[in-house]
This record gives sequence, structure tokens and C-alpha cells, in this order.
Amino acid sequence: MSSWLDYTINGLIVGNVYALVAVGLALIFGVSRLINFAQGSIYLVGAYIGWVAVVQLHTPLPLTIIVVAVAAALVGLIIERFGLRPLQNSVRIAPLLATIGISFVLDQLVMLTFSPNPRALPSQLPDVRFQIGGGTIEPLDLLIAGVGLTSALLLFVFLRYTKLGWAVRATAQDRDAAMQMGVDVNRVNQAVFGIAAALGGVSGLLVGMYYNQIDTAMSLQATLKGVVAEVVGGAGNVPGAVIGSLLLGLVESYGVAAFGTSYRNLFAFLLLVVVLVLRPNGLFASARQAPPEPLTGTFIAPSRPVRIPRWALLVVLGVFAILPLLPVSLYVLQTLINAWLLGMLALSLTLVAGTIGQVSLGHAALLAIGAYTSALLSLTFSVPVGFAIIGGGLMSAALGTALISPSFRLRGHYVSIATLAIGEIVSLVILNWEGVTRGPIGVSGIPPLSLFGYELISPTSIYWFSFVVMVVLALLQARLLGSHLGRSFRAIRDDDVAARAYGLSLNRYKSLAFIFGGFAAGISGGIAAHLYSYINHETFNTQQSILALTVVILGGLGNVVGAVVGSVALVGLPEVFRIAAEYRILIYGIVLLLLVRFRPQGLLGTI
Amino acid sequence: MAIAHAAPLLSVRGLTRRFGGLTAVDAIDLDLAKGELVSIIGPNGAGKTTLFNLVTGLDRPDAGNVSFEGQDVTGLSPETLAAEGIARTFQLGRVFGNLSVMDNVLIGAHTRLRAVKPAVPLIGPLLELGLALLRPASVKVEEEQLRKEVKVILSRFGERLLPRIDQPAYSLSYANRRRVEIARALALKPRLLLLDEPTAGMNPTETAEMQALVAELKAEGLTILLIEHKLEMVMRLSDRVIVMDEGKKIAEGAGEQVRTDPKVIEAYLGHGLSDAADQQESAA
Amino acid sequence: MSNIDRRTLVKGSLAAMTAGAAMSRGAFAQSSEPILLGVSGPLTGPNAQYGTQWKQGFDLALDEILAAGGINGRKLAYSFEDSQSDPRQSVAIAQKFVSDPRIVMELGDFSSTASMAASPIYQRGGLVQFGFTNSHPDFTKGGDFMWSTSVSQADEQPLLAQYAVRRLGLKKLAVLHLNTDWGRTSRDYFVKAAKEYGAEVAVTEGYIAEERDFRSTLVRVRDANPDGLILVSYYSDGALIARQARQVGLKQTICAASSVYSPKFLELGGDAVEEVHLGTRYFPEDPRPEVQKFIAGFKKKYNGQEPDAFNAYSYDAMNMAAAIVKIGGTDRRAIRDAFTKVKDVPSVIFGKATFDVESRRVKGAMNAELVVRKGQFALWDGKPT
Repeated sequence: MSSWLDYTINGLIVGNVYALVAVGLALIFGVSRLINFAQGSIYLVGAYIGWVAVVQLHTPLPLTIIVVAVAAALVGLIIERFGLRPLQNSVRIAPLLATIGISFVLDQLVMLTFSPNPRALPSQLPDVRFQIGGGTIEPLDLLIAGVGLTSALLLFVFLRYTKLGWAVRATAQDRDAAMQMGVDVNRVNQAVFGIAAALGGVSGLLVGMYYNQIDTAMSLQATLKGVVAEVVGGAGNVPGAVIGSLLLGLVESYGVAAFGTSYRNLFAFLLLVVVLVLRPNGLFASARQAPPEPLTGTFIAPSRPVRIPRWALLVVLGVFAILPLLPVSLYVLQTLINAWLLGMLALSLTLVAGTIGQVSLGHAALLAIGAYTSALLSLTFSVPVGFAIIGGGLMSAALGTALISPSFRLRGHYVSIATLAIGEIVSLVILNWEGVTRGPIGVSGIPPLSLFGYELISPTSIYWFSFVVMVVLALLQARLLGSHLGRSFRAIRDDDVAARAYGLSLNRYKSLAFIFGGFAAGISGGIAAHLYSYINHETFNTQQSILALTVVILGGLGNVVGAVVGSVALVGLPEVFRIAAEYRILIYGIVLLLLVRFRPQGLLGTI
Repeated sequence: MAIAHAAPLLSVRGLTRRFGGLTAVDAIDLDLAKGELVSIIGPNGAGKTTLFNLVTGLDRPDAGNVSFEGQDVTGLSPETLAAEGIARTFQLGRVFGNLSVMDNVLIGAHTRLRAVKPAVPLIGPLLELGLALLRPASVKVEEEQLRKEVKVILSRFGERLLPRIDQPAYSLSYANRRRVEIARALALKPRLLLLDEPTAGMNPTETAEMQALVAELKAEGLTILLIEHKLEMVMRLSDRVIVMDEGKKIAEGAGEQVRTDPKVIEAYLGHGLSDAADQQESAA
Repeated sequence: MSNIDRRTLVKGSLAAMTAGAAMSRGAFAQSSEPILLGVSGPLTGPNAQYGTQWKQGFDLALDEILAAGGINGRKLAYSFEDSQSDPRQSVAIAQKFVSDPRIVMELGDFSSTASMAASPIYQRGGLVQFGFTNSHPDFTKGGDFMWSTSVSQADEQPLLAQYAVRRLGLKKLAVLHLNTDWGRTSRDYFVKAAKEYGAEVAVTEGYIAEERDFRSTLVRVRDANPDGLILVSYYSDGALIARQARQVGLKQTICAASSVYSPKFLELGGDAVEEVHLGTRYFPEDPRPEVQKFIAGFKKKYNGQEPDAFNAYSYDAMNMAAAIVKIGGTDRRAIRDAFTKVKDVPSVIFGKATFDVESRRVKGAMNAELVVRKGQFALWDGKPT
């Protein structure tokens, strides 16, 4: 059928677009072992600089490309110098979070400068079309392909045959050894970030021209697809990133062909999970490699947790318990209800990310599972709300653990990528499984919270209910941490190889952590569903997952009190910053950066 | 020499492991009788640590087999082998950095936990979670006993570790971390103990202490496989010495006999007994 | 209203928040303080552009209201709280507005998730939630304090179907729709109406809001061999689809929902949106005085910028709010009751807007059949394209 030719060409065209971002990501990963979540933001910056050049300065195309490349490279150098270099000797998770913070800051700066309205970015190439199959391609398609392939090829040659390239590879292999051999690692990093950023900026420009449209939301999507393509191709492998991108484009295109448009991203993320499970080093890694170097003590910041005296905790607890009796406004109570709900999620995440070291970026999926289960149980089967919420917790524990289990064999950043993908998959399944979840229409008319037949509808009663549930979950978790399980979880986090050598089964204990954590998250989602009365697939999104992770880092990994403190802070601060309106996400990003820089172990320290 | 007549505790036949073009462990045969202490020496990169990884299940061989107490245990997981009573220490000193000394050693006793890990199929893990949260008397008693045992084990190191029992392991000196590793291995009540360079980075006094401890363990009847660079210690402690070079066993026998073997001398001269870390070895 | 004015208002409301509910409502009745409306909507986050458009419409309406003497001599003003269209923030904002005695009515939120999550709080707190972009069929079912001037898709989509099937003579249709509650509801109403008019719907494809690449989707559409494409889209994705339709060699008639009606659609779509048909609620040459006043006023205030659908929605909403407050005063319950009494409010979208008390929505949206010709929206002259 001729359509298959069209689907193939379309897949390759969009794969081209992904490749531009993926190559930059691969280059940075190759040297720094870092997934640069800010790459999409550089892409965004490039697109807008290109817009200024084309629309306001009327530069010709070659000059536009040079302007964008130089400007983006400068941004890259600044990121490297001031955002990442200070974290060189920091814990491994710090630079990852720093890139997330940088991406918030860059996206917001662009949005504040150019307004969030989309803009047209006209192509500067002649409007000629070539017929291929049933469709056409234009010179811009060829230019994008050319830039992608050429840059991959040039980088390959650069890495293989130049002195600086040799230094880059040496640094990638073993940073310390390279330094001993006289390689100036900082210069190497600068070179790599400069090149990757220039490439990112030019890709933003070209893709913006391709769609004749740029807007501030393009950043996250570019990063997501770029990361998928890069990991599929083998993280750090530059030619692999190009092939991974084309493959991703093809899989999406064929997926659309076979099942329809709404399944498209489902295929992208399933591809990622399948590759990670079957070939964690990417499709193009050599078959069997030496067991990887353990991450002993480097993943988590060495830390002495802040000891809070028991009486102080009891006093604070007491104050919050009687708060509704004091003259505080209902708005404060409502804000704290949000904090308690986030607190339950943070307890869950601090257990799996902090205590057992599985940094999950898809934790909102557990909320969604709990929320949908509880909502549907109470609506469809008239289960009393209290039991429905517990059902939500149990379903989240069981289903969540089963879904995340493929990532148990992965380590470090790969866990984050896999959980991010699994989170997206859950959201897409909710969107598409209309028979159960009611699809995009969502579930409305969810009955309000009730307990033993009494409806909890006043903010005061909801406050007490959510506060008590969170405190109970926190106490249970504290008790868990004090048991042999807490010890075992932390041992697996600190050194999974040594832990296995002492008889700790990773699957068993990671499962237990996710079961316990999934329950808390599911309860949080369940309560939220009855609170909101309406949920759909967007209620619990990736931003929630990232927010929860920030809470956990802020409070201190694995730290139960820290999770609660962090939740109150991160729910409260944006409310306080309301005065700053449009600037508050910017402020949030800067706070995150400062935190990672100056207190990576969090306010209360890692436990 | 105490060579048992029964089947050996550990028996390795034709064990081979390749990394790409390099054969890190090349058809090694090895027997270890109960109560015996055998040392493996050889230049860096000879494949000693890889051999340890193969025996303890952290790596899978390309060929050959390993049997423990007459049972084929080739390719079993490290968890299973730990439960069988094989404990090891690591060349690079892998303590659990954020755990206290006490908790580090308690992890060593993990395979011996009974009260909190009911051997029920399928729902066993869930029961484990429940018991950890409820903590009935039996669980508490077990935990208390283990904590007492840990203190006894730590007292073997004199005043080195006991005063630091609640400190996180990352705050310890290098030598103390190695001691924690050995204490952790002892907490498993191993039937076979594999020590990977226990004195690396230690000064002469500390080395002497360590040597005395290993001698004590041997005297208590523990079966030990030892990788060590300090030849004097090897000669004093070992019942037998095995020399490896480029993955192959090039000599085996009593200490003095091996020491004068021309092949061994050549291997050491040829490669140099340098301290620079070899990639393959340290990556493994 | 300038940025600084709004900030001081926000600060004021914070102060009021801490003072709590202790403040008596009556204290404001005769004061010279402005009558305050709460707005909950996105100013940051992925939907930030819509919040920005709302403000333009609000501010224009407020200028006109003030020029006409305000509300019985008092100024009307709003306090815009950024919710990012996030339900967690919209519920906190809802409680804030409910607790703030100066707020007499709330407008927003943008997305259904954010709006409907906040509904229980407004309903229990007895504050009207006036959602003017909330087309979700269940929005006004949240309670008798939920009112909406959002055009019901049950009303709009048959008009589009009529345009496509009856007037343009399309018989076999492909529907591309945003896979959101709005897009999905619209699609269902459209398909039902199109079938009633005798057309066949060959294929429907739902896509997520972040999607940019539609080529493969369009090949699927091409293989279904329709004679027309229906876009249930916003202007940015609508423009992308129109461009790519031409790239994959689709030459069929394209007919789009009113939500693409924006100058941005022309800017982003370029030549590719030429001859795209769309039904809208108003158009520039519309002789109705409220439309002419709106367009002229908007261009004057915003340096010649053309208004779009979301500007019109928010402009209408503010005018409606003014009309309601004129009747209901500053008592929240009286304001709810005023929704049942208000009649024939001049409206860009409805001509004259009157609420249907049963559904708490306004029926009878105006309809204009437009086509893009020479880079401009023009009234369709009935000539086939």
C-alpha cells in the first residue's frame, strides 16, 4: 500500500526533528553522565532568538543560524559555568535537579519577555515542494535532516580524531583518570555544553520554522521526546541518538497508522520502557559489558539529619491540630489541606526516592490510580467513601508496584526516565480507556468526603480529616523506617551490589517500598478526587511529580518530617508569592537552584 | 596441613569470564576444604576480583562451574549464595555510607532474620511488611539479640569501632570502613568468607591487627579465601597460595614453594607489582 | 487596569484574608471601594496565553463600564489570581475568594479540571462561580451557584454541521478533535448533527494538546477518502493541521469550529488556511452595534490588534457581570438570584444574552459563516471553494 510509504516518510521527517534535540542530549550525557532537562529550554531560547532575528532584524538564513548558534552557545556556557560546574563534586542527583530548575527559569524568562502567545516564525527557504509518495517534502525537511546528520557525523569525527575530542571521551570514561592525565575537564565540559547548546538553539529555530509556530510550551515536549530518542539509541551514543530518533518517529507514525492518533505517545513511551527493560544501555550498546561501577555513597549526599526533639514535634503537631479552632481564615485551612495531600504524596516519594533510592519522576500516576479507583468505586459501586479511598490506596499499591516493577532492574537516572515514561503511559491509558475512565470527559459528580455516614464538607472537617490521615501515614512510615525494612531499604539505596551480596533481594524490597509508598499516594489521590468532585487525565500530571520530587529534596531524602515540612513550604510559598503573580514560577526555579547548590541534603537532611 | 578428606567446601572447575576480547578469568580450577585458608595473589588485572565476583554470584561465568558443599551453585544470585553462607568483603570497601556502624553490621545478619521473615510463599513479603510495622514480641527479641551479637563482633576490633557504633559509615576512616566490612561479613555467620584485600590502605600497625584477626578467624575454623598483595601476610596465614596472571592460574602450592616459582617471579617482574589501579579490576 | 493597580488589589485581599471572615459585609455597602470580582485563571503554565487574553477583554469592558458611570456610581474591579489551570491551586483560590467578603462573584477558571474541582467550594461557600469558557456539560450541574455563558456545544456544533453539510454540501467527513473534554463533547455533538443532516463521518481522530506533528494522522484521514475535514481545534493546532494537510496532499475543504477564530490563526497558518471555512459567533463586518463597539474599542486600546474569540468571551463575561451586579448589588445570594432576572444583556457572542434558568446557561449563540480569503476572515458568499 502506498500509504505505508507515506507513513514511513512522515515517521522519518518527525524523527529528524527529534534527532536535533537528541544529539545534544547524547553529547552531554556522554561526557557528564547527565540527562540535561534544560536542553528543551535552550531549544526554546533558540527559537525565540531566531524569531527576533527573522521577524525584527530581517537577517538572511545563514546569518540567522549563526546568530542563534552563538547566542544559544553562550546560554549553554552560562548554564555550565554557573549552574552545573559548582555541583561537580556534589551528589549525582544534584545536577539533574539543577537542570530541571534551569529549565523552569529559562522557560519563564522567555514567557515573560515574549508573552505566552504563540508566534509565527516564517521559513526563510524558498517555498518549493517535492513530491514523494502521496505527500510532499520541502527544502526545510532536507535542511533539518542535513543539520541532524551532519552534526552527528561531525561530532563523531570530532570525538574520534581531534585532541579535544579525545579529551572528551577520556573524561566520559573516567573523569578522575582524565584529570590525572592532564585533561582540563572544565574546558571539555565547556566545549560540550557550548556545542550541545548551539545545536539545541539551531534545532529550535529550524523546528519553529518547520511548523511556522513557536510558543513557550514547546520546551517540555522537546525534552521528553529527545530523552526518549536518546535513551532508545543508547545514552551518550551520538550516532545512536540519531537512529533512536528516526526509530521513535517511525514507531509513532506506524502506531498512528495502526491504532489512531490518540495512541501516538503511548507508543513512544512504551518503546522507551521496552528498550530500557530489555537493553538498558540502549539498542546500540555492545551486548555484555563489565558490571557498572557502583554508586557507593555518591548518589545520596552524606548527611547527618537534623534531630528535632520529640517535644518540639509534639508542640507543632498540637498547634496544627487545633488550628481550625484558632481565628485563621478558611483560605489558610484550604491551603494547608493541599499541603497535607501533597504531604502524603511526598511521604510516598521520599520513601521510594529517598529511602530506597528509586528517584521516580512519574509519581503522579499513583495519585491518578488511587483517585480513579476511589471515584469509580464510590460512583459505580456505591462503596462508602471511606472504604473507596482505602480501595484507592490498595489499588495504587498493587497496580502501581506492578507497573513500576520493570524499572526495578535499572539504576540511577535510568530509573527516573523509566518512571517518567510509566507515568505518561498511565495518563495516556486513562485518556484512552474510555469504557472505564470515561476518557477525556473525566469523572464528575464524585461524592464528597464522608466518614461513618457523615459528610465532611466544611473546610474545618476536611482539614482535620486530611491532617489525621497524613499524620497516621507519617507515623506508620516512621515506624517502618525504624524496623529492619528501613535499614534494608537504605542499604539498597547506598550500595545495591553490597546489599545483594548480603542476601537482600532488590525486587522484594523495592516492591515493598512501592507497595507501602503506593498506598500513601493512592490515599492522597483518593481524598483529592472526593474533594474536587471532578477529575480527568490532566488532574494528576507530570508537574505534580516534579513538585513532589522538589518537596522531597527540600525536606531531605527519606526524611519523614522533611517531607511534611517541604510540602507546607512548597504549597505555602507559591501562595505567599501570589503577589509576584507571573514571576512566581521563576522565583520557584531560582529557589530550587539555590537549594541544590547550597543544601543538597535538604533542610532536615537525608536519613 | 588441614586438608579435609571429605568433599571440598568450595570447588571451582574451568571457570571462565570474558569481557569483549579480554579473558579476565581463564579456565580456573580451585578447591577449598573446610577450615582451610587459601590466598590468591597476582599482579593487578590478573582477574582475582572477577573470580570473587563469579564465586559470589555478582557476575555470571561464560563457562565452567562452581559448587558449594557439593551442590552446583553456578550462576545463582548473590542473594541465594549469601543465604547459603558465603560472605565477602569488597576491594574498594563498600560500606553503606549513610547507615550507622550498627546498621551496617546488622545488614550482615539479614539472611539470619527469622521472626520477621516468615517463609510463606507468595504473601511472605507482605507478612514481612506487616510484622515490621506491628513488631510483635518475637521480632523485638530477635532484633535485640542481633544487636547484642553485633556488639560482640565489634568488640573483636577493640576500641576501633565500638565508640563509633552510632556514627554513619561515611564519617569513618578508611581503615575503619574495612573493619566494618569484615564485621558485617562475620554477622552473616559465614561458612565461607572471601576477603578482597582487607589491608589495602592500612599502615603497618593496622595491617598487623588485621593479620591477627584473620589468624584468629582461621583458628576458629572459618574457611577463608583471601586476596592480598602483602606477601608477608599471605605467607604467614595461608595453607596454600594460588597465583594468577592474565586470568590464568600459573602456580599453586605452599607459600614458599610458590614464591620461588620462576613463572611467578616472571609474572611479577613482567607486569610490575604496581599500586596503580587497573581498569578492568577496579571496574569489576 | 494597570499592573500596579492589580497588585495593590491582591495585597489588599491578602490583608483581608488575614483579617478573616470577621469583617462585616455591610461595611462595604456604601463605601467608595470598587466592587470586586474574583478571577481564577492561568497566568503562568501551559495555558498562560488564555489568561492574558482574558485580561485584555476584561480591561476593555471595565473601561467602558467606568466611562458609563460604573455600577450605580461605584467602580467595578477584579482581582486576578493565577491558578495555572491547576485544580490544587484553583481550590485554594476558591476558598480565598469565598473567605474574602469583598469578593461578590467569581469568574473562571479556564480548564474544566481547575473549574470543576473548585465548584464544591463555591457552591458550599455561597459564591457564584461564573465560568465563561466552561463548556463541559457537567459544569453547571455542580450546583445553583454555577453559571456559564460558554456556548454549549450542544448549540454550537449543529451550527457547524449545518454549515459543513447543508451549506457546503460535504457528504463524507473526517473529524479531527482535541482530545479534551471540550473537544470530545464537541465531536460527539457534531457527529450526531452531521448524521442527522445526512452526512457520513468516515473517521474521527483525537489528538493531545501538545501535539505538533499531524502528518501521519492526515494520511489516515486521506485513506478514509473524505470530501471534507472538520477541525475541532484551537487556533494554534488548527493552523498546524491546515498546513500539514496541504503537505500530505489533502486538498479537501476544511471547516473549523469557532475556537480557531483568531488573527493568530491567519498568522500561524499563512497560505495554508486560505479557503478554510469556520463558523463564528461574530465577525468584523458584523453590523451589530455591540460587535462594532467591541472591535473598535479593542483595536483602540491595544494598538490596532484584532480581538479573538477568547477576548470576546471575557469581554462579554465582564459586561454580563456588571449587569448582574447592577441588579443583585453586593450580596452574594442576591447576585445568584440576579442571574435568573437579568435579561437581554448586549453580547458579542449572543447578541442579547438571557440565562436559561434550568440549565444555568445562555442559549442561542449568534452564528456567522466565514471563510478565509486573501489572509482575512470574510463572510462566506455562498460560492463553492
